[in-house]
Amino acid sequence: MNAFVRRSRGLVLPILLIAAWEYTSRQGAAQAYAFVPLSSIAQGFSQLLASGELLTSIVASLQRTCSGLLIGALAGIVVGAAMSVSTLVERALSPLYHTLRQVPILGLIPLIALWFGSGEGAKVLIVSLAAFFPMVLNAREGFSHVDKRHLEVATVLELTSWQRLIHVQLPAAMPAIITGLLHALAFAWVSSVGSELFLSSGNGLGNMMMNAETGSRMDVVVIGVLCIGLLGYGMNLLFSRLGQYLLRWRGSR
Amino acid sequence: MMNAPLKQSPIAPAAALPGALDIRNLSKDYLIDGLPLPVLENINLHVQAGEFVSIVGASGCGKSSLLRLIVGLEAQYKGDILLDGERIDATSLERGIVFQDHRLFPWKTVSENIAMALSNLPLDKADKARRVTEHIQLVNLQGFENAYPHQLSGGMAQRAAIARALITQPKILLLDEPFGALDALTRVRLQHELQRLWIQQRSTMIMVTHDVEEALYLGDRVIVMDARPGRIKHQVTVDLPHPRNRSHPRLHALKDELLAELVSH
Repeated sequence: MNAFVRRSRGLVLPILLIAAWEYTSRQGAAQAYAFVPLSSIAQGFSQLLASGELLTSIVASLQRTCSGLLIGALAGIVVGAAMSVSTLVERALSPLYHTLRQVPILGLIPLIALWFGSGEGAKVLIVSLAAFFPMVLNAREGFSHVDKRHLEVATVLELTSWQRLIHVQLPAAMPAIITGLLHALAFAWVSSVGSELFLSSGNGLGNMMMNAETGSRMDVVVIGVLCIGLLGYGMNLLFSRLGQYLLRWRGSR
Repeated sequence: MMNAPLKQSPIAPAAALPGALDIRNLSKDYLIDGLPLPVLENINLHVQAGEFVSIVGASGCGKSSLLRLIVGLEAQYKGDILLDGERIDATSLERGIVFQDHRLFPWKTVSENIAMALSNLPLDKADKARRVTEHIQLVNLQGFENAYPHQLSGGMAQRAAIARALITQPKILLLDEPFGALDALTRVRLQHELQRLWIQQRSTMIMVTHDVEEALYLGDRVIVMDARPGRIKHQVTVDLPHPRNRSHPRLHALKDELLAELVSH
């Protein structure tokens, strides 16, 4: 019972919020348009489920986030590792990286659309970039703080550079990489939906919301917001668990 | 388990392993702000194959630097360090080292850590696995094969580090204050075990320590070093057979001699 109470504490605030929402929606027609009644949201939800539109949109958004995250995070790890290992790479890339990093990804969308069109490729590129920047920062941090004493052991054991990378440097950098991955995930998800709002072709939760807005379907907009929030929360949870598993060697800290 | 009596080794003692170390006129400087600071000056030392040599001395006498040079972590030095006649200028699996901090990789289990040492030996998988199992038994860590270092006590971690250093069957094992961070009881136990391992393996061992009793209990010979710059000041031969009795009067007499030597200037 105690555990149940502790687990449900996080639900108190959302439930209060929903109650306030429902109360406001009943204060008149104008309020009912701005704060769609729960019953309409439920109705809209079952319609979207039945038509398959919700599922298609979710799958499209998730797919794009995953491919973008994969490309961006891998590239980020490689570039971050290269920057930490080689001063030449660090000096060559650092100014460019730190300049581009200042620009919000969504601010690059007009240029990317101009160069690469508004199709799926452009969107994946946007998501990849969003994941790339935080990953580089963390990977570089991780790779440049490998314990010198462990590197000496690698030397004494006559490990090749490849073995040293795989068995010593990469695992030593893993805590920072996991942190970077969690940041990258958040940026990737936001920019995936963001790119759909800006580039209106194709499928996705962002497109679903844009279409709903033009059709004055505020219930669908609310459902979109909820889906984005909950899915993002779920993915974050999943990746945190994955991180905990990968870092199980650290013990309970 | 910790006090397991001398038992038959699962590994045949490596009889007649070479491992004679010859250090001639060794000097080593570190550059501090561009100025050379001598850490070792004119060291001459011959260690016979299979001999156990202890080195004691105050902090800063360069005894750890000496081990780092022998293992090959530092290649710049004057003079010669020869192992079976070959000059040492890099690391090699012929030379193993155990550090004061166990230096196990925290992200690898005990078996994985020990197996890392075999990464580049031409053995097949089954052979490697068998060797790892044997060495885990050798240091009495059965049951902890899949434990991560953070789950081990200091003594157990150091046993794993010893197994990792021995698994390549090095000609010479270097021990840099291997028990310095352990509590007194664990230290005594591990000294006993190291003696057992040395009797079984008969590889050359050089141990640096702060502990005069430990140096005498284990060493065939004890070298006393002096600091700034590090040099050999005195040596005694401990002419007692192994395994030894800690309370042997000869050890006590030698301890007094060494302590007098260590505090005199």
